Amino acid sequence: MTDLNQTDLQTLVTGNKRAWDSFVAAAAPLINAVVRRTMSSSRLGEDDVMDAAQDVFVRLCAGDFRLLKTYDPARAGLSTWLAVVARSAAVDHLRRRRQATEPLDDVPEAALGVEDKHVEKLQIPQGLLTERQTLILKCLYDEERDVAEVAVLLKIDAQTVRSTHHKALLRLRAHFGDEPP
Amino acid sequence: MGTERKSRTDKELWRSLAVERVVAPSLLSDLDFAAWLEGRLPEAAAARIEAAVAADPELRRAALDLADILGKPLPAAPARLAVRAQALVGFDAERQVGRGGGWFGRLFTSGPFFALQRAAMVAMAIVVAGAGFVMGGGLGDSLAQQRYGSDVATSTTATTSSELSDFFVSDGI
Repeated sequence: MTDLNQTDLQTLVTGNKRAWDSFVAAAAPLINAVVRRTMSSSRLGEDDVMDAAQDVFVRLCAGDFRLLKTYDPARAGLSTWLAVVARSAAVDHLRRRRQATEPLDDVPEAALGVEDKHVEKLQIPQGLLTERQTLILKCLYDEERDVAEVAVLLKIDAQTVRSTHHKALLRLRAHFGDEPP
Repeated sequence: MGTERKSRTDKELWRSLAVERVVAPSLLSDLDFAAWLEGRLPEAAAARIEAAVAADPELRRAALDLADILGKPLPAAPARLAVRAQALVGFDAERQVGRGGGWFGRLFTSGPFFALQRAAMVAMAIVVAGAGFVMGGGLGDSLAQQRYGSDVATSTTATTSSELSDFFVSDGI
């Protein structure tokens, strides 16, 4: 199987059948994995996963390969860009399917729940935490991901995630006092 | 034990706070997001995307999922996925409609060798048609024949009409 990042894009966007077939063979595992992960929380079946994956390929070749022509290898690797495109296509597919078919009774109560806006929260002033510190705290506490996952996301080692987390908490405690409000 | 208690307290502290951010609706391109996921962006550009990702739970989940998938070996895709996708490109009719360019454009789309071959065929067709035309008498003869034919038709019509008049006159009508 050819490496996705070795794809000859110039030949591919001319509509060359052989180039397209080998691109599909190389991209299918990635697109399949991304679409499956994106749709894993929905209760849609295998046919929907296949249709969503097909949507990704349709997007790529539609309009004389308009979307593929927007890809710039100088800015990002083809596999990463394709993964982002596949995720967007799968989210769109899910939205369309939900709008078209899901009866209200089938929607989990948690999804229908409305957040209680009356809970007063203290505002973290702008500039107290860096964007990275905020992102790390959100990933750890709001998304409940572990340190290793955040390290993979930010391309840093786990120890750096821990120390950034620690410094952020120190700043918050210094600003709001030691005891949680 | 102590670490566990502290960790719980940290979480409680965080959840009791709200991040004050005025974040514009994210106008994040797929390429920017991919570049950030690869850690290719300079610090300032990365900070802008980190702010957008921190502010948008959907984007945050996308980032975490994609980073996880891209860092692992991928399972094979079902065969029918590739078969269906491969069928999207490659039909001649689709390629011609998609590309356009007309007859002349298509003459030169398949490389110089095929263009030469097609040009030779076209030239031969022109020579055969020209030879046929000359052997048939050319344009001058054709026009002359056409004119002669129309004169004959006119005189025939005139003769027929005068014969009819004579017939009616002789009958006293």
